[in-house]
Amino acid sequence: MQTIKLKIKDNVTSGVAKIPVEVDSLTPDNLVGKSEAEIKAVKVWWGNKEESTGDLFDVSVDGTAGSADEVKIVLDGDLSRVKRIGDGMTAGEIEANSNVDMHCGAMMSGGKITVKGNADCWAGREMHGGELVIEGDAAANLCAMYRGEDKGMTGGKVTVGGNADECVGQYMAGGEIVIKGNARMLAGLNMSGGKIVIGGDAVMPGADMTKGEITVKGTVQDMMPSFKLEGTESIDGAEYKKYSGDLAMTARKAKGTLYVK
Amino acid sequence: MVEVTDVVCSLCGCVCDDITVEVEDNKVTKVKKGACSVGKSKIMGHNRIKSPAIRVNGELKDCSYDEAIKKAAEILAASRRPLLYGWSSTVCEADKVGVELAEELGAVIDNTASVCHGPSVLAIQDVGLPSCTLGEVKNRADLIIYWGANPAEAHANHMKRYSYVSKGFWTEEGKKAKKLVIVDVRATKTSKMADVFLQLEQGKDYLVFSALRAILYGHEEVVPDEVGGVSKKDLLETAEMMKGAKFGATFFGMGVTHTGARQNNIVNAIQMTRAAHTHTKFTITPMRGHYNVAGINQVCTWETGFPFAVDLTRGYAWYNPGELSATDLLIRQECDAALIIASDPGAHFPGESIKHLAKIPVIQIDPFPNPTTEFADVVFPVAVSGVEAEGNVYRMDNIPIRLRKLIDSEYPEDEEILKRILDEVRAIKEKEDK
Amino acid sequence: MAEVLIRNGVVYDPLNGVKGEKKDICIRDGKVVESVKNPKVIDAEGRVVMPGGVDIHSHIAGGKVNSGRLFRPEDGRKGLEAKTKVCRMQSGYSVPNTFAIGYRYAKMGYTFVMEAAMPPLAARHTHEEMVDIPILDNAALPLIDNNWMTMEYVNSGDMDLLAAYVAWIMKATKGFGVKIVNPGGTEMWGWGKNCSLNDTVPTFDVTPAEIIKGLGVANEKLDMPHSIHVHTNMLGHPGNFEITKETYDLVKGIKTSKDRQVMHTTHTQFHSYGGTNWGDFESKADAIAGYINQNDHATIDIGSIILGDTTTMTADGPMEYNLYQITGRKWTNHDVELETGSGITPFLYSGKSPVNTIQWAIGVELALLVKDPWKIALTTDHPNAGPFIGYPILISMLMSKKRREESSADMHKVIYDRALLPSIDREYDLNEIAIITRGMTAKALGLHEHGKGHLGVGADGDVAIYDMSPEETDAGKIQKAFLNTKYTIKDGQVVVKDGEVVATPDGKTYFVTPECDDKLTDEMMVKLKDKFDHYYSVTYNNYAVQDAYVPNPYEIKTQMRG
Repeated sequence: MQTIKLKIKDNVTSGVAKIPVEVDSLTPDNLVGKSEAEIKAVKVWWGNKEESTGDLFDVSVDGTAGSADEVKIVLDGDLSRVKRIGDGMTAGEIEANSNVDMHCGAMMSGGKITVKGNADCWAGREMHGGELVIEGDAAANLCAMYRGEDKGMTGGKVTVGGNADECVGQYMAGGEIVIKGNARMLAGLNMSGGKIVIGGDAVMPGADMTKGEITVKGTVQDMMPSFKLEGTESIDGAEYKKYSGDLAMTARKAKGTLYVK
Repeated sequence: MVEVTDVVCSLCGCVCDDITVEVEDNKVTKVKKGACSVGKSKIMGHNRIKSPAIRVNGELKDCSYDEAIKKAAEILAASRRPLLYGWSSTVCEADKVGVELAEELGAVIDNTASVCHGPSVLAIQDVGLPSCTLGEVKNRADLIIYWGANPAEAHANHMKRYSYVSKGFWTEEGKKAKKLVIVDVRATKTSKMADVFLQLEQGKDYLVFSALRAILYGHEEVVPDEVGGVSKKDLLETAEMMKGAKFGATFFGMGVTHTGARQNNIVNAIQMTRAAHTHTKFTITPMRGHYNVAGINQVCTWETGFPFAVDLTRGYAWYNPGELSATDLLIRQECDAALIIASDPGAHFPGESIKHLAKIPVIQIDPFPNPTTEFADVVFPVAVSGVEAEGNVYRMDNIPIRLRKLIDSEYPEDEEILKRILDEVRAIKEKEDK
Repeated sequence: MAEVLIRNGVVYDPLNGVKGEKKDICIRDGKVVESVKNPKVIDAEGRVVMPGGVDIHSHIAGGKVNSGRLFRPEDGRKGLEAKTKVCRMQSGYSVPNTFAIGYRYAKMGYTFVMEAAMPPLAARHTHEEMVDIPILDNAALPLIDNNWMTMEYVNSGDMDLLAAYVAWIMKATKGFGVKIVNPGGTEMWGWGKNCSLNDTVPTFDVTPAEIIKGLGVANEKLDMPHSIHVHTNMLGHPGNFEITKETYDLVKGIKTSKDRQVMHTTHTQFHSYGGTNWGDFESKADAIAGYINQNDHATIDIGSIILGDTTTMTADGPMEYNLYQITGRKWTNHDVELETGSGITPFLYSGKSPVNTIQWAIGVELALLVKDPWKIALTTDHPNAGPFIGYPILISMLMSKKRREESSADMHKVIYDRALLPSIDREYDLNEIAIITRGMTAKALGLHEHGKGHLGVGADGDVAIYDMSPEETDAGKIQKAFLNTKYTIKDGQVVVKDGEVVATPDGKTYFVTPECDDKLTDEMMVKLKDKFDHYYSVTYNNYAVQDAYVPNPYEIKTQMRG
């Protein structure tokens, strides 16, 4: 088991401009087998210049790892302008001890990321597998697709302890998303597979869905006018109204299921 | 005195090109016909920035173009996250140099679509856009729908040149043989002309689009009695009107791009058009604001691959509106320098973003002083495109038209200033590499 | 300027009868010359040498190409390459940015590409993009067949006035030749309808057949370098091969002003379909190839499929609508007043699909079944059947039966029942490849008389040196060699070396200016100006493409014949 600690230096976060650092090269896959000196030399983009990791982070390494799944990266300091944490990772673990910037866990297919804070937009974008835990809130486009794509998340599991902003799981085709709090408008937009569970309230959930399943345990504001009430169903001891939709996509395509308490 | 015809207006996305002006002693003395009042005002000209200037101790001090170029290039070359913003009120030839400058700097290049029809572009990237040129609407359309737009005030020539009042090949009777539907949250100058005015509740457009789609696909039984403040009866009637048209043309504006579901409103509007298209010919077109915002979108797309909010820091384009639009970057306080050209963020941007813009070095390229000039650190006055400089622009329906030059000017053109800044930036970087 | 000597190359220059000879190529001041005194020497070391490639049909510049880019950022993010000291940034796979188009074609040894379809009202856009494509010489074909002026003259039978209008369009758009796409049908699409070859277009009262014949006659009156270039009606419909054959027959009697075909039909793969629906759909490549073999008045380009996700874009608005209805994917449509239209929608060609499998076979079958390579050109109708970067795959398939067998085994089994490919043994040699990628295309376009497609004295110094020996039979090595040249030379300047772009000079835009009798033009103008006064949304004086849009012009003048 190898633990790599990266603490962002003050000079990175204290300027007039808060220029994001992009850490897509700092994944367990990429750092496995590297010495502390080698890790310090790995390049990361800070604005339009490539910098050495050691110039932007305090680096300390403990233990060794034979493969990426034995690597744990711990990120400390103010990470609110650190983008692309865990981008494309396939194994191993990343722990981020503050709010994180955009694209956290984008395109990951394995391993686990824990964010002890809020995650900015596009966390879990196009996720294929693995696990992403956000203890705080998730900003817009959680697990959504990239612009223009008709598939977003295809696998994996995401849990949000707080609330989620707009367009949770847009174009989701597989996998599971659990929001403990509320979801703002258009959760499950264009969904074609997978499962979303919202512990709190939702606004216009399931718009343009063609398959997949959404469950809202709180109240729904602005229920879509193009969904069909099929009946009621009991889930975990509670009564839910069961809808099929979205008929705005035509009845032939409307094979999505929306459970509303 | 010389009369000049076929003058092209450089104000809004209508790009009216049948204007007649009088020119005397190298001045435009009269706009005789063709222009609306706002266009006329642009062509006649008004208060100009007189000289290049650099801000010293809080005050703008006049200087030479050479000095200003040097200062601007120094600022940009030293910047780690420069933003090059605007581009919508200049010509494509200048836009191309802008993209090249952004590429050289590793900058983010963005344009006014971000605060205007950016959501429409996002929608097009989701579902496409079934549309046509404005002449098609003029010649064929018998049903005109304006949704979240008020052309009588915002695009004053639109209805008489292109849509409701205009007469064309199969529409010789003009508005007598056409139907006008206005959908808006409040009555406007345009809604007073409508055959049908659907007044919906603020932020509820999305629901109304979905309801109309369900009805157009034959699933009206699931639609509730009232959607977004509109009765089901009105929705059914509107759907029948759409189905019965020979050619329906929808135009939409900021009312739907910037409220409620924003870009998803537009997706839904386009989906509604696709549903209508299963019955009859139907098109949809955004009412673009600036006269060449369509142009910078075109140039940016064919050169970088993407239309706006493009990050070139790694030497290739990364596109992501919501992350890289000028307002996103400024509200997040990400940029450390900005070049503002052919636009006025000082007037149009949210207060939060202006606060940051005022803190960082700002270079402004514009003929006219505006709120952005109040905090710009280097200012370049330039020639007015369409009056003092010619060049290519794209109309709101993407037809390219060439602006004419009517008079000579001592002011340099945008293209020239940008080229000189680019050359100076390259010289600075070459020195640094040695 | 500099002198260049390419020695020790095995040269394939079919227009000059050179079929794989060890031969020196001498270039001075950008042109091929007899001999040179003090040249930079490039030792081709026994490699294959050909004139620069000439692509006869590709969608590389203009409104619908850019709409394709704009609405597919997910395609844009494939193929991202950072700028270098020499090259600008690159993006895209099926809709590459302008810089990538120039670099990738040049790396395949191409030096001239014809933009397949330019809507006249938006011609400025096509030119703006062509100027931004590095290295390649270019030209564009204006769409003339759904234009109201055309249909009105065809209806009244005034062929001279039609010729005057065609001449005017050619000048106003700085265009190269007459492009015809789904004639009549795209006008009807203005009302959401379509039509076939012999249907009457309402209001204008003409049939597509009449439009094609009329434009064929007008084209020859104007002594155009190229023949009419036709995307026939009913593209993509099972059973359409009959329409295609009938279209060839339509123009059989027209006398050409030059020694070339009367009509070139494009992406003929899409027009060689049998069966009656997608269930019994089958290849009719043999019927079309048979016709081409027995007649000398028509040429074709294949429009062959490359498997994968691509972007379809044509002026055939109704066909694009049908495609979107089948796939449900995003769809952009753009009708152009008084002139034409366009539709764009992504499409995935999959080896698992029986229909796509047959389509995939048909393009290659056409090339193998047409006996005379001077009648056929290699294209993918980029990006409709696939991106141009797939050309080397097609070359390797034409040259290697083994490669075809291996690839067919990965396709749907239906290929053994409803396609002809598995039964064909023929293999192309390098001479034939050179014909269908530069010799034939230059000749069919009339550009062989303007320095393109050959390496005789006086030709442009455009040369491709492929990193393979003429004896190479391994399909994989052939494909690799045709993807990235050892050298590409443009106007005597090395632009690609060892598969990397090393220089990015600007290309030239070729266009034709046909001169007509003034009286005829004046008469035509009365009708044309009426259109501007009442129906166009731009003015007559703002319509024509200004010189500023073509900074590197190559003008070909012609004279209208009696």
